[in-house]
Amino acid sequence: MSPVRVRFYATFRPIVGGKFADLPVPDEATLGDLLDEILTRWPELREHLVGADGGFSKRANLFVGGRAARFLPAGLATPLEAGQEIDCFPAVAGG
Amino acid sequence: MRLDTFGQKIAHIDLAAGTFEVRPAPEEWVRSYIGARGLGVRYALEAGPEVDPLGPENQLYFMNGPLTGSEASMSGRWACVTKSPLTGTVTDSHQGGWTGARVRWAGFDGLVFEGRAENPVYAFVEDGTIELRDASEIWGKGVHETVAFFQERYGAKNLAVNAIGPAGERMNRFAAWVNDDDRAFGRGGTGAVGGAKNLKAIVIRAKLTKSQVDDPDRWKEVRRDALDVIRDEVNITSPRKGGLSVYGTNVLMNVTNRIGALGTRNSQTTSFGDGAELISGEHVKETILTGDPTCHACPVACKKEVEITEGPWKGLRMESVEYEPAWSLGSNCDNADVAAIAKMIDQCNDHGMDPIELGNVLSMYMEATERGFAPEGGGLAWGDTAEMVRLTDAIGLREGEGDLLAEGTTLAATRLGHPEIAMACKGQAVPAYDPRGLKGMGLGYATSNRGACHLRAYVAAAELGVAPGDAEPLDPLEWRGKGELVKVFQDLHAFSDSLDLCKFSAFAEDATHYADQYAIALGKPFSPEDVMTAGERIYNLERRYNNLAGFGAGSDTLPARYLEEPSTEAGSKGHVSELPQMLAEYYSARGWDEGVVPDRKLRDLGVV
Repeated sequence: MSPVRVRFYATFRPIVGGKFADLPVPDEATLGDLLDEILTRWPELREHLVGADGGFSKRANLFVGGRAARFLPAGLATPLEAGQEIDCFPAVAGG
Repeated sequence: MRLDTFGQKIAHIDLAAGTFEVRPAPEEWVRSYIGARGLGVRYALEAGPEVDPLGPENQLYFMNGPLTGSEASMSGRWACVTKSPLTGTVTDSHQGGWTGARVRWAGFDGLVFEGRAENPVYAFVEDGTIELRDASEIWGKGVHETVAFFQERYGAKNLAVNAIGPAGERMNRFAAWVNDDDRAFGRGGTGAVGGAKNLKAIVIRAKLTKSQVDDPDRWKEVRRDALDVIRDEVNITSPRKGGLSVYGTNVLMNVTNRIGALGTRNSQTTSFGDGAELISGEHVKETILTGDPTCHACPVACKKEVEITEGPWKGLRMESVEYEPAWSLGSNCDNADVAAIAKMIDQCNDHGMDPIELGNVLSMYMEATERGFAPEGGGLAWGDTAEMVRLTDAIGLREGEGDLLAEGTTLAATRLGHPEIAMACKGQAVPAYDPRGLKGMGLGYATSNRGACHLRAYVAAAELGVAPGDAEPLDPLEWRGKGELVKVFQDLHAFSDSLDLCKFSAFAEDATHYADQYAIALGKPFSPEDVMTAGERIYNLERRYNNLAGFGAGSDTLPARYLEEPSTEAGSKGHVSELPQMLAEYYSARGWDEGVVPDRKLRDLGVV
């Protein structure tokens, strides 16, 4: 599969050193596989992306087509598609 | 200053007579409505919901809360309450900075301005006294010049200046009070009420005064508990680590854009595409950020000072490029020029205007122009920043087309013959969260007691996953359950607005933190359940005011665009707001009859 572009925002940008990264993923990879690749490349993101229970953090967000992974029917088991862009956000809010 | 005597020192200033008298607020009012927002609304109800907002009988309440100016974190807030000339509802707006704190340190819990001065005056507040002084030298001046004038006259040390600009003097319906150049009572047109009263400014000179409580050890403990969660690195409030502290409120721009909740071109679409990055907090930090100023007792420092280094506004230093105006004057107007946005925010600070309403009135006028509704010889093209800047001055000064647009989005669109292009609720323009992509926020807009508002019920916290503690994030596209959720947020925020702690404290603190701190200030036990009950009482008090002011069944609604025109953008594609279903849930949770508070509910809550 062609690389998946992951866009990073806010406090994640200084950690990854840029606004986005093109990450290689195998055929039939899932969003969870991509998360593993992100955590392998940037271990500092683990405390932000992984909750105390070992699951995906309740505060961070991985968006696929503007929908948070936690609200997709298959969650992190959602298959990735070629040319897809993923958004990776820390907790953000304001007013 | 003793915290447990809060409410004893409310100054009533008779503008016509030039005198003032200090009277305690009725004990039952302070006990039931806490302070700031709640207490101010109780006073406003007493004055009568039928008053003309711009008439001398409308009163202007600047109210501290029991924690304002104390050592509690994020306690630099106070409220301005009055009947709004923009909406006809009761309104309250809150300022950061040090002005409220200095009023407390000067010996007052609140300032009530009554009547109308014959000539322009300002109130000088110091050491338990208030004097009305001639303001003719500064009438007509912008806020920046007014602040400089008073700093020159009285010295900048320990001084706070809260002023209206030319917009307030001309009774622009969305005029604001602005303190120390850039912190505003922004929404609802409170500045116009000041202008109608010939009240130019409130100048306070007072040095920091420590709080006195019966149990200082416990006071220290509960404040430390609150500060610990504010500092916790899992929270966005964490100093220099959390997104709110590092990037300010504009850290939101990219996420709302990516989920299809960023209104664009007067909410004709729900995403600004690649343009959002150019007006985002991340871009501001990379390119023009120069400082992170803060407010009294706040470790978060969400304000962002910038300097424009190139282009027509080179050399401009201002604060603060917040998410709301970056949206209202940015994507909402099809404008990706962050320097122009900074320029217009600074114009708003100087004229004394609400930039949320300004951005909406401009985007409405742009759509009117596109559709051929603008008056002959007038009009405004999408993203025409030079004309936007020119019109901003014209609106502040009520010159030319600016006179019409100074009436606010709803009235101006109505006078153009097309109220359907006004993105507003109860006469106040919408903020920066499109209700098609964040369903709970839409219900919050519709049921807000001061017109469209994101701060009455900041349910985006739950919909984006930043509610305090272990709360589960809620699907922003699911309407079910949002009725009860909006009620809870409205009640909690009604309480925090009455303490008066910054709304952003709720990203870390919960009802227990509020209860524990208030109990020490009160000198009596107070529980988290009491917090929610008091918040509900305050929310119902406001609703009662509005019912008496003519807002009945059918008043809680959204612009038809959000209900009938589906989003076409990723994240929210195909969605509209399911407002009727959410309203049914909400009214059931509230115990209201189609937006009207029944007598039994008023009795149950002890609302008069």
